[in-house]
Amino acid sequence: MMEYWKRSISELHALLAEGTLSARALTEYFLERIGRLDTQYGAYITVCTEEALAAADRADGMLKAGKGTLLTGIPLAVKDNISTEGIRTTCASKMLADYVPPYDATVIRLLKEQGAVLLGKTNMDEFAMGGASQTSYFGGVKNPWDPTRVPGGSSGGSAAAVAAGLCVAALGSDTGGSIRQPSAFCGVTGIKPTYGAVSRYGLIAFASSLDQIGVLAKSAADCETVLAAIALPDENDGSMLPQALQLPGEARPLSGMTVGVPAEFMGEGTAQEVKDAVEDGLSAFTHMGARVKPVSLPGLRFAVSAYYLISSAEASSNLARYDGVKFGYRSRKGDTYDELIKNTRSEGFGTEVKRRILLGNYALCSGFYDAYYGRASRIRDQLKAEYAGLFTHCDLLITPTAPTAAYTIGAQEDDPVRMYLADVCTVTANLAGLPALNTICGYTAQGLPVGMSLVGRPGDDGLLLNCAKAFEAVFPRREALA
Amino acid sequence: MSYIPVIGLEIHAELSTHSKVFCTCGAQFGGQENTRCCPRCAGLPGTLPVVNKGVVEYAVRAGLALGCRINLLSSFDRKNYFYPDLPKAYQITQMERPICTDGLVEVEGGPVRINRIHIEEDAGKLIHDDMEGVSLADYNRCGVPLIEIVTEPDIKTAEQAKNLVEEIARRLKYAGVCDAKMEEGSLRCDVNISIMPQGAKEYGTRAEIKNLNSLKSIGRAINYEIKRQSALLDAGKPVIQQTRRYNDNHDRTTALRSKEEAHDYRYFPEPDILPVQLSEEEVRRIADGMPEMPASRIQRYETRYGLSHADALLLTSERPLADFYEAAVACHPNYQSVAAFMVGELLRRLNDRGLAPEEIPFTPVQFAQLVKLSDGGQVARNDAKALLNLLFDAPGDPQELAESRGYLINTDPQALAAAVDGVLKENPKAVAEYRQGSAKVFGFLMGQAVKKIGRGADPKAVKTLLEQKLKEVDG
Repeated sequence: MMEYWKRSISELHALLAEGTLSARALTEYFLERIGRLDTQYGAYITVCTEEALAAADRADGMLKAGKGTLLTGIPLAVKDNISTEGIRTTCASKMLADYVPPYDATVIRLLKEQGAVLLGKTNMDEFAMGGASQTSYFGGVKNPWDPTRVPGGSSGGSAAAVAAGLCVAALGSDTGGSIRQPSAFCGVTGIKPTYGAVSRYGLIAFASSLDQIGVLAKSAADCETVLAAIALPDENDGSMLPQALQLPGEARPLSGMTVGVPAEFMGEGTAQEVKDAVEDGLSAFTHMGARVKPVSLPGLRFAVSAYYLISSAEASSNLARYDGVKFGYRSRKGDTYDELIKNTRSEGFGTEVKRRILLGNYALCSGFYDAYYGRASRIRDQLKAEYAGLFTHCDLLITPTAPTAAYTIGAQEDDPVRMYLADVCTVTANLAGLPALNTICGYTAQGLPVGMSLVGRPGDDGLLLNCAKAFEAVFPRREALA
Repeated sequence: MSYIPVIGLEIHAELSTHSKVFCTCGAQFGGQENTRCCPRCAGLPGTLPVVNKGVVEYAVRAGLALGCRINLLSSFDRKNYFYPDLPKAYQITQMERPICTDGLVEVEGGPVRINRIHIEEDAGKLIHDDMEGVSLADYNRCGVPLIEIVTEPDIKTAEQAKNLVEEIARRLKYAGVCDAKMEEGSLRCDVNISIMPQGAKEYGTRAEIKNLNSLKSIGRAINYEIKRQSALLDAGKPVIQQTRRYNDNHDRTTALRSKEEAHDYRYFPEPDILPVQLSEEEVRRIADGMPEMPASRIQRYETRYGLSHADALLLTSERPLADFYEAAVACHPNYQSVAAFMVGELLRRLNDRGLAPEEIPFTPVQFAQLVKLSDGGQVARNDAKALLNLLFDAPGDPQELAESRGYLINTDPQALAAAVDGVLKENPKAVAEYRQGSAKVFGFLMGQAVKKIGRGADPKAVKTLLEQKLKEVDG
């Protein structure tokens, strides 16, 4: 049998377009793999068998009518914090375990218009708060490279689904690294687009000024295909960029490009194996003609603190609506409104979510606002300025995506601060609104993938994808499964 | 002891835009519960606010109407608190950078400075059913656009406060941004009030009275508060900083919560909405489209048109009336007679018929033509009043109406002569009596002639002609 799960979108599209493969057969193929393999990984919270088959039949109709596009009939997975009409959207929380949105997120509408097939909703950290995908109300996700290890998070279900061949590509969301870090842990490519490039309408908010929907796939080329379909203007999101991304980006040779490597990312906190793999990746860039030079981002040492203050502050406000009155979980206990919200929120949210709500409310209290939220905002402005300075003489920056490769399940969950610090490599791109892409640059001695991140100017998503495509063409990528 | 009251107002005005401030739902008052409610209004996860540009323009118009500076850059913030009528658990408002600042409104009792005007969203409504022991939420009002107008504490009396609210309401209506119906809640007022001894330099501790929804209750609540606070100070007791509620039925205010119990709203910049950037050109375009405000019209009516202050006040009380007057005098620039006919006749009929000025069924030009017919002596004054009634029932061209109904004074000499000749011929006996010196039959002959000519007969002309003809017959 053809190993469709190893094929790229363009290869599958060719088969679908010439009629040697139907969308229905391809969808059934992936549904069968999910049914057989996902009990080991827990990548999906909800599998939409009926809806997927119906969508596949519609896709076959489009293909027959000659109206197919690159994504028509391509089976995709979607993180379970992206609203899907008629399909429950849980955020991996007890609070929304039975919540069925009455509307589609803009990205879902756009994918449906292309005739893409939605296989199901992927597992994640509760409300996207976490880096290991172990805080889900529906159980943790396991890494296909080694099921005793975490897949990263919070888009761990999407990353695991791509790595295990349980979908062709997946949508994720990234607030502080939630696409890039699980992509690195699971050995796939993932892009967090420029803030405002993809509509957030329908993405259940964690931290609005940082959240961005992006793509996880087997390659930068596949990421680009999906991103091109969803990075379109949307009047439902008033915080979008005035101009749509240009995809594919301008074709520029790597020779003559300047790649900056901020020294602060390659310090003591980063594992030697990771540094070695990133150095190998940089060598490949040099080999292709790019000029690699060390640069500095001094603001990095405040970045994690600023990120946790801002993201938690916004989360405390965004998650205040879960009061048991209108939708979602409602406690059976409580005779007054105050008791009802107290009990609903105490019972409906998990520990990590509560921790962040408390932290965020504290940071916004009058009297503390300037010391916490105010200072964090100033650090954010400083980071933006430092990045702008670097981009006056660098075309892109390369950093490790995470300080380590995937770690063992249970190794870090007891120490939230240690987990927070592991976000140091990814949070600055969100604070500065920059596009950032993870691609795999090596493997540890134990055979675990190591990722490096390409970071660009706002709107340079196309450039990052082109550089990653060039790199991936020369880098021998391995598969998680045989 | 006598004290000086120090009073400032916070006025919430619902903007009369067609749709809500952050979604496309209708913003009208009332309606079946939860029928003007979309995923955004209900605060469903994943929804995002998108600023209705019309709301920004309306807020700018309000600012211009109250003499404010328009801030080209303004931005939104979140005000966080839990309440079941607030689905997102935060209200989107403008805390740090409001759209308008530094206005001034002149009213009787003294000018009042406007501190700021900012845009925010209204909350829903809760309906408490004590019989069933449940509370129901109606989200139709969620997201209806509001502006909050905050004054400086320049107000000294209840009268001045009422004058200010009335004047602000009038100006908002003139600017076309708010229907200012206090009884429907489209204009609501919070009063901040403190008192201080004569000659004192520092303000006293203030109380805030929430949600006053009529001019009467604003006045009564202020007077009650002045009395309450004066009594406290006279007795040597402190005024406590509180939020209070005014009860109409008992004519008193009662404490809602103290400063210690006040919410911490945890304001922070709204990340879902980019700052609003206006250009000088946009503000100029909006300013160019603004109507003249009542104060300036009153002055013009008095100095240029020679109207009395009372008439000028009446005609400018509502913009449709003033606009009607101005359109009418543009057609017939006899300012005083148009004003007199409007104040004396038109307003009374509107009142009798229960019509608002914008419901006048005929055009200002038709009204002007009617006044012109009367002024020019083509229609008798009383007939003009009758024609005005006709215009209400069958709007049309007054000239044609007067003609077809025979109200036009007949000035055709041949028609007059023919009628008089006819009367003389048909009444030889009366003519003979007249000749024999019986003056009283002249009245009879006059009546016959007028009857023959019809309603448009001009008695003066008929009399002259009849006398002349009788002499001719004599001769």
